[in-house]
Amino acid sequence: MKFARRTPKADVPSMAMGDIAFNLLIFFVILARAQDDSHLEWQPADAKEVEQAGVSRVSVLIDVDNKVYLNGQPIGIAQISARVSEMLGQSPAGERTVLLKVHKEVPALYFQPVIEAISEAGGDLVHILEERRE
Amino acid sequence: MKIRTRRNNLLIEPPASATGDIAFNLIVFFLVCASIQPDGGRTQTLPRSEEIEQEQKLENIEIQLSRNVKTVTLNGDPVRTQELVPRLRKMLASKTKDEDRVVIVKSKPDTMYLHWIEVTGMIEDAGGIITIQTEEEREVRVD
Repeated sequence: MKFARRTPKADVPSMAMGDIAFNLLIFFVILARAQDDSHLEWQPADAKEVEQAGVSRVSVLIDVDNKVYLNGQPIGIAQISARVSEMLGQSPAGERTVLLKVHKEVPALYFQPVIEAISEAGGDLVHILEERRE
Repeated sequence: MKIRTRRNNLLIEPPASATGDIAFNLIVFFLVCASIQPDGGRTQTLPRSEEIEQEQKLENIEIQLSRNVKTVTLNGDPVRTQELVPRLRKMLASKTKDEDRVVIVKSKPDTMYLHWIEVTGMIEDAGGIITIQTEEEREVRVD
């Protein structure tokens, strides 16, 4: 007598497809924001009027310890101008925005050379600030 | 005699195994929402250094900043930070050309960013064009 062998089926449940697609989508959204500096510690200075900074490829941050970071990676003040210039390349005016995030208590000794370097590299400087709530 | 209808059986609970997925998706959703929030900021245009040298030949307004957030030095005179905007407006009122409206900002090394951003904002509000001036340190050897 012959018995038919049972072949086990190992299908991915079709019910989970939506979840998988959604997770993949979110994964790529997060990856796209690779130039993240959210792990760095800093507090923005406040200002009366603040406008939307928009999106930029270049972001310079000075943290609470007065250390300088370019797109989340540590960098020396002397190298900023060349690196920013390289990253901006031949971008036309209006697309040369450089976001500057400085901790509110950083002394001029550290932030002033950075501002000069960005200006020297031909970047359009945008200070990232917090709106003052009175 | 009681007749069982099918309607009673239609109430189906979501499978408990999916709660983990739902919770995870919710966490990720809020995480993405939080990180996508755009930053607020202020654009600042600084004249290039060559232009500054030319402009400095003219008589420009000069503001010096220090660690003291309550006062600034305006053309050598100490002024309360709150009074800076009206004073500047008065001084810039007669100046129509852009090169005359340049305000030189000198900062002592210990000037805090918070103070610097407040004062430069005031200069822009008063209609001035900001220029940064740094003091160069030179070593002079005397033999």
